[in-house]
Amino acid sequence: MPVDIYWRIGTHGDQPSLRRRVSSRGEWAPVVPGSLAPGIRDGVRDGYSYLEHMADVARASELAGFVGGLLPSFPNTDDPWAAAASLARETTTYRFMVAFQPGFLHPVQAARMSASLQRATGGRLVYNIISGGGGPAQLWWGDKVAHDDRYARTSEFLDVLKGVWEGGPFRHDGRFYRVEDAGLPDHLTGQPFPEIYFSGSSPAAIAAAGRHADRYLSWLEPFAPLAEKFAQVREHSAATGRTPRFAVRIDVLARETEEAAWDEIRRGWDNIDPSVLEDATGDSIGWQRSRSFVTGRITGYRDLEVQPNVWGGFHLLRGGPAFGLVGSYRQVAERLDELVALGVDAFILAGVPHLEEALRVGDHVLPLLRGHGPRPEPSLTTATKGNP
Amino acid sequence: MAAGVLITVPTRERGEHRPLPGFVTDLRPGAYGPYDRLAQVGRAAEIAGLGGAVVPFDPVGEESWVVASGLLRGTRFLRVVAGFHPGVATPVYAAKVSASLQRFSADRLAWHLTVELDRSVARAQGDFLEGPDRYARADEFLTVAKGVWREEGFTFEGRFYDVLNGGFEPPLSGGAFPEVYLSGTSPEALALSARHADVHVFTLDDDLDAAVAELDASGRDITYALSVPVLVREDDDEAWDEARRRWIAADPPGLVGSYATVAARLREYRERGIGAFVLDARPAVEETYRLGEHLLPLLEKEAAHAG
Repeated sequence: MPVDIYWRIGTHGDQPSLRRRVSSRGEWAPVVPGSLAPGIRDGVRDGYSYLEHMADVARASELAGFVGGLLPSFPNTDDPWAAAASLARETTTYRFMVAFQPGFLHPVQAARMSASLQRATGGRLVYNIISGGGGPAQLWWGDKVAHDDRYARTSEFLDVLKGVWEGGPFRHDGRFYRVEDAGLPDHLTGQPFPEIYFSGSSPAAIAAAGRHADRYLSWLEPFAPLAEKFAQVREHSAATGRTPRFAVRIDVLARETEEAAWDEIRRGWDNIDPSVLEDATGDSIGWQRSRSFVTGRITGYRDLEVQPNVWGGFHLLRGGPAFGLVGSYRQVAERLDELVALGVDAFILAGVPHLEEALRVGDHVLPLLRGHGPRPEPSLTTATKGNP
Repeated sequence: MAAGVLITVPTRERGEHRPLPGFVTDLRPGAYGPYDRLAQVGRAAEIAGLGGAVVPFDPVGEESWVVASGLLRGTRFLRVVAGFHPGVATPVYAAKVSASLQRFSADRLAWHLTVELDRSVARAQGDFLEGPDRYARADEFLTVAKGVWREEGFTFEGRFYDVLNGGFEPPLSGGAFPEVYLSGTSPEALALSARHADVHVFTLDDDLDAAVAELDASGRDITYALSVPVLVREDDDEAWDEARRRWIAADPPGLVGSYATVAARLREYRERGIGAFVLDARPAVEETYRLGEHLLPLLEKEAAHAG
């Protein structure tokens, strides 16, 4: 089975490296000398914006061998629909994985936007459907639906969206949506339905995923708990008769040698505020989650290496989740192969800075993947934790 | 200030290539799609010097945000008006998508909020609200959208929408809110425009003078626009020949005539307060070039005289 490998596009600026938490790409931070595409040139607005950088990342990803990219959506990011529609005609093979929450759009509107975007891109739209974590962020968006109900709404949203996709007339009277004789106009029908990547760990999420998801998407975690999560999804999906497929979103820091990769981490580590390590609770879910896999006091960055090449400190060096892979090109490729062996057939990779790392990973890591092919020599997979 | 002359983007057209006979080499399939045709309309408007392009909310056409995004990306000066209905998205999300498009386009996006739909059309969009409530919702929609755009910590509790501690942070909050186009001549429609419109769009059927008087009385600085189909040619006979060819047994839907005749008619509307024209001319690319070369110079000349 082929494996689809995506490369994330940051929709909230980017750092030039993991060494310092300074965002200088786009206008997401105060403009300083060296800021790229801040939209200002010689003190005058120049018509360029962060979109120019996103376009570069998309084209680099396309050329580097990725099938497309995830465009994340959070309160303080650019919007993935806007970005995908803007970049449709200046990319060729790039699949736009648009992250969105069903509560924000009416499903008939989502159907029409999706069909139009399929026409604009030649069928390159993919969904990353987020049902929302709840809490203050949902009220920021103006969404009052409670956590478990949001998954019920997601299910109903997709029922309506699929109901109108082939033209209708479609009638529905449900808990969240009601439509009469709905459908798409003739010239918008017949487009491929976007593949659905679905996230969420709760039982409600897994139940909804079982009905609609093409791929169940998870952050990277240590492989054992990840395999356990997959087993749960398989178990819950059994009732629906669907065989779930799995995707993992992974930050990678790969270099020619393992030493060079860890040295890059060390440089970032030396610049973080040590007090964040003392803080037992941390201020992010990512930190709490990663801390739960780490035992004992943290005295150095290698203490966060919970299994060979799986490092739980990325959130300290840039915004986002904790776990990622650190190692030589070959080691990173081997870990990805191991995930393929666990049943993963899609990856959303990312690295900082996204543009340069897309080219690096495309040139040096992807060609080493073996997938289900013969395993590499055992000596190459030996645990390396603790090496200087 | 609204763009003076805008074109209407034909989003109902299929945009697919007419197939060539089998023995003729055709390199287009796979290389070009329907959006390349739409992009050409935007480029034509830009090159022809028109001020803007209107992408209508049309349930049987292409989706307007997707089309508008592409047109903005393909141009540098053109203002693009995306028509949509308040039921399609939450106001926070409509504002969020638009904040990105404003950043991408240096503030060239505008909104045409379409409030009234036929009952069956509305229900097919999942909207069962009827009567004056639709204007109450549109008012809340615009209030919330402007609120999150301009105020950090924005909180709102209304009949239709709630937001708690919302509001965009820089750089999403930095740009201009999209110019708001509205239309309709009912008391509710005019009241909504008196609160929110930057541009109020009329059609040939509207009672223009009464509505303009009422909106003028509101004290809000509103540009009045006329949306009108046009068919212009070098002389009246040629225009009418073409009109008879297109609408064999029916009246043509808008203004037909020579460049001078139609320019004169538009000037009459200018004298009645109209400051912008949303022209609909098909086929769009060819006719947009024609408007730019032949009609716009006459309008500009008249505007100069009037000034």
